[in-house]
Amino acid sequence: MVGAEPAAPLAVRAREALGDRLLQEALSTATTRFVAARRTALGSLPDSERYRDRARRIKEATLQRLDQYLELLAENLERAGGVVHWARDAAEAREVVVGLARARGVRLVVKSKSMATEEIHLNEALEAAGIGAVETDLGEYIIQLAHERPSHIIVPAIHKTRAQIAALFSAEVGSVVPPDPELLTAVARRELREKFLRAEMGVSGVNFAVAETGTLVLVTNEGNGRLVTTLPRIHVAVMGIDKVVPTLADVVVLLQLLPRSATGQKLTTYTNFITGPRRAGEADGPDELHLVILDNGRAAQLGGPLRDALSCVRCGACLNVCPVYREIGGHAYGHTYPGPIGILLTAMLEGTPAVRDLAHASSLCGACLDACPVRIDIPRMLVGLRASLARERVAPWPERALFAAFGRLLRVPALFRAAGRAARLLQRPLLRAGGRPRRLPLFFRGWTAHRDLPVVARRSFTERWGRGELG
Amino acid sequence: MTTRPEFLERVQREMARAVGLAPVAASPRPADPAGVAAAVRAAARGRVEELFARFRTEAEEVGAVVHRAATETEAGEVVWRLAAERGIRRVVTWSRRGLGWVAAVAARLGDGGLEVAEGAPEEAAGPGREPLRGILAAADLGLTGADLAIAETGSLVLASGAGKGRAVSLLPPIHVAVFGPEALVPGLEEAALVLEAWHASGPRGANVVVVTGPSRTADIELTLTRGVHGPKEVHAVFVASPAAG
Repeated sequence: MVGAEPAAPLAVRAREALGDRLLQEALSTATTRFVAARRTALGSLPDSERYRDRARRIKEATLQRLDQYLELLAENLERAGGVVHWARDAAEAREVVVGLARARGVRLVVKSKSMATEEIHLNEALEAAGIGAVETDLGEYIIQLAHERPSHIIVPAIHKTRAQIAALFSAEVGSVVPPDPELLTAVARRELREKFLRAEMGVSGVNFAVAETGTLVLVTNEGNGRLVTTLPRIHVAVMGIDKVVPTLADVVVLLQLLPRSATGQKLTTYTNFITGPRRAGEADGPDELHLVILDNGRAAQLGGPLRDALSCVRCGACLNVCPVYREIGGHAYGHTYPGPIGILLTAMLEGTPAVRDLAHASSLCGACLDACPVRIDIPRMLVGLRASLARERVAPWPERALFAAFGRLLRVPALFRAAGRAARLLQRPLLRAGGRPRRLPLFFRGWTAHRDLPVVARRSFTERWGRGELG
Repeated sequence: MTTRPEFLERVQREMARAVGLAPVAASPRPADPAGVAAAVRAAARGRVEELFARFRTEAEEVGAVVHRAATETEAGEVVWRLAAERGIRRVVTWSRRGLGWVAAVAARLGDGGLEVAEGAPEEAAGPGREPLRGILAAADLGLTGADLAIAETGSLVLASGAGKGRAVSLLPPIHVAVFGPEALVPGLEEAALVLEAWHASGPRGANVVVVTGPSRTADIELTLTRGVHGPKEVHAVFVASPAAG
């Protein structure tokens, strides 16, 4: 179950996605709209570039003293009456949450959207223990009913049409619900409200955890994040070690960027600051607050090649601008975190071999780096991943042989020139009337199936330069 | 299970492998949080009209309804009218103490024939958790004050505490927050400075929520829909000169 390899190879999953007309339409509408909204929202922030620099510095400052900030966070959270649990990996994190639920006789858990709990496959573990786990974010609720996984970090059910959702809801409530977003939303409110009032435990993620005050910061638009952390008697929050930030002032800087980059909002509807369980005199709020701090492969990158990916705030901006994500969508990536940053996070959490194909699911165009609010150099790390995969020889042997030969060719100028001349001759039978090359034959066919092969020029740059044609 | 020392020792070991980093420091915390917060509020008091104008624009942009009243008596009329227009019967509020001068608005609703219940009574006096929940879940409108109103984002800041229950602004489909000039601050940065002061001043409620417009989702075909979990309508009622403020 956990870290399981996706059933089909990337190429097959991508081909399926490319052939799915509804998915293609949904992806194109959604990503185009998010990109435009993000641009407008960042335009409304005076000096947004300076904010990006500050955000980057805050994340880096935190990583440089991560041990101290984690300890400070734990001390302050415990001073406020919370309990901190340390989980080395997904199994330990699951054990903590399931253990807490069992010990307190919990039968129903309500959850607000959390990538960390997706990452540790918490729902399956709770269900295996006979404890119901209900996703309450509308998008997550939809895909839970469909027994699927999120296809986007911010809009998990981006791939579902209103008709499909109406069918799911009708089956769930046992009467016909028309495919109208307003009505569907009202049904979800009614169904889930009853569960909120019944659940004994709420499980959430964390957007930022403030070390200096022991405060957990959670942003949601729907309000389910507030319900999950207000109504049940027990609140359990799960966070990766990368979510800690030093001060409230730091959180403000990150909050100027996260909603704008994610949905194009100046601020998410509900920004919730939680400092411990309810205090004396408070009428509501949980009696118990537990924080699970999760490593799961993150710490190993503090001095590793994927260190910069630890600065990610999970806004999803890099997904929306990525030419590969925009075509294949989140499911084709086959792991918890999709998109350009998802490839790096998958390598971090599951090891480099897990991204043997995925490391190549990028055109290295740099759009992700441009979009990232904390300026994570994703393309550079992807190139690094590819290099390490080459060194570890996980690429198939013909590919390795071909690139080794190509490398030799590039290193010897005479050989390179000769190869150019040979290519000029060899391409002739492949050229069509208009001068564009045809498809390549035999096992090179895959290369030209979805792209054009550039024509080798009649005279090379060096030849023209040598004859003074370019002076 | 991993212990804290084991966990942190591993983090330290991995951190030691990172070489050649340019040192960076985090944002500083205010040395005198109460003083800084007082200065923030004093500066804002000199710009009330400007801040409220910005608050109105931003709040309306995110779908909140903004009202302005001269006094709390007038605010009571405004809220009673909007309740009457919607055929509302049941109202939950913060406790009298939690509401402060806004209690005048709650009183007006009661006088107008609405059922007004405290959804966040002081612990000793109030009903238990379960009956309270029933009251909250059945209410049509939740009435609260607001500890801060952020001009640049059109947000209401609600700090929980005795008599200031979180569910009052969360469970009913309509949330009405009444606030005066002293609540206005320019931006998120200033709001965070006030939060620091609250934190430094010792135990109060465990929760602060920044509410920016009504509950919303676009999870079904990116169609914007309001009120999926939280209130569908948010009304921000500004009282320019509360008599009892």
